[in-house]
Amino acid sequence: MASIARPAVFRQVCTAAPSKRVFSTRTTPLITSAFRTSKPLSRPTPSTIIRETLPKVASFHATASRPILPPPPQRIQGTANDPAPVPDPSAFHGAYHWTFERIMAAGLVPLTVAPFAAGSLNPITDGVLCAFILVHSHIGFQSCIIDYFPSKRTPKTRKGLMWLLNAATVLVGVGFYEFETNDVGLTEALKRIWHA
Amino acid sequence: MASLRTCTRLANAARFTPAVWRRGFASVEPIAATTEKISASSELVSEKKTSTVKEPAPDKDSKIKTFHIYRWDPDHPDQKPRMQSYTLDLNKTGPMYLDALIRIKNEVDPTLTFRRSCREGICGSCAMNIDGVNTLACLCRIPTDTAKESRVYPLPHTYVVKDLVPDLTQFYKQYRSIKPYLQRDTPPPDGREYRQSKADRKKLDGLYECILCACCSTSCPSYWWNAEEYLGPAVLLQSYRWIADSRDEKTAHRYDALNNSMSLYRCHTILNCSRVCPKGLNPAKAIAEIKKGLAVTG
Repeated sequence: MASIARPAVFRQVCTAAPSKRVFSTRTTPLITSAFRTSKPLSRPTPSTIIRETLPKVASFHATASRPILPPPPQRIQGTANDPAPVPDPSAFHGAYHWTFERIMAAGLVPLTVAPFAAGSLNPITDGVLCAFILVHSHIGFQSCIIDYFPSKRTPKTRKGLMWLLNAATVLVGVGFYEFETNDVGLTEALKRIWHA
Repeated sequence: MASLRTCTRLANAARFTPAVWRRGFASVEPIAATTEKISASSELVSEKKTSTVKEPAPDKDSKIKTFHIYRWDPDHPDQKPRMQSYTLDLNKTGPMYLDALIRIKNEVDPTLTFRRSCREGICGSCAMNIDGVNTLACLCRIPTDTAKESRVYPLPHTYVVKDLVPDLTQFYKQYRSIKPYLQRDTPPPDGREYRQSKADRKKLDGLYECILCACCSTSCPSYWWNAEEYLGPAVLLQSYRWIADSRDEKTAHRYDALNNSMSLYRCHTILNCSRVCPKGLNPAKAIAEIKKGLAVTG
């Protein structure tokens, strides 16, 4: 795969990608004027000095800064010669979780196709499909939260979002139950919506 | 002759000589200002009468290419990182990016900083982001299309020490945490060395070649987000190298160290690692093998 993906095609796609506006070597008059009007009385900042003295230097961020999750200061646990800490083994968050996740995902495929292929609507199949969708999406969102809100960096947000996800899963579960018992059910609803 | 030299040195040391004579060897003042003649063969010419030698005109068939290089100096932490442009004639430069960088450092800007050592893809020092792809500068050819400008950055999402030098402390600490050495309790059967069948040795092909350049780890979005806890493709490949080794007896311990939510299972099979590896290895396959082994053993 790697050897197939390597050729010059990728390289060219990558070189074409960055926009010329951000990395242009010339400072646009718009940016300089905005810079000057905002600070008319202050001394020229180092970045303006660079622009004036070194003509071929472009400012790295031509756009306004957007403080989205700024990188935290670098923290090294222990000395540089200590190994990074190894967490305790917990198979329920590791191997079992992974296997369960894969079984769920693989199980969804026949469950989605079966009712339409067989042409009959079984309430038990429908209920199992609902449960699988619920658990599958719960695991998926959980993974997103773990990725984007590390417990080391944002412990409170992480905890809050996890509880929000649990609440949402319960809510959706109740909604599925109501829909299955008091209404037409998931498969029948899809059949009515989707006229292909 | 030798005695004459000794005498001269002694005389100089005793400072009998007038200042004008002693300064005849090296002078920072204009030559015309000193009364002393340096060369007996030619008369002195005032600077006002000499002509300036101009730089040679560039060749018609020179291939001038522009390189934009990421610059940041820790001595000026108040300044933002910036891109600096350099132009080089490709006819006078070697074929690889590392040649261009070395030429810039030698001839244009000695303050440019980068790591390099072997210049042949064995040491892994010159890993950087070239035209949007993590690779080794010594293995990456400069495209001869001069219309396109090249951009060179340090490895993405690393703390930068200076210019193109990333801080790989965390990477090496993680490497240390997987205990990358042979662990055994039993002595070798013949008392001399740990033997291995050819088939077992073959399992290590594609794993032992890794040079730990960190190209794959720093191209992995999951590693960008969770570098503190997720080990990253390079370290996991090394971990699998010791799991797959038939001579190692701590395979269960090695599996246990990875059996948690963060160390291994933050891999979402994005496969950037296999795409960028400058040695053509496949870290994603090694990670998949670890996952398979863990799914079987638990």
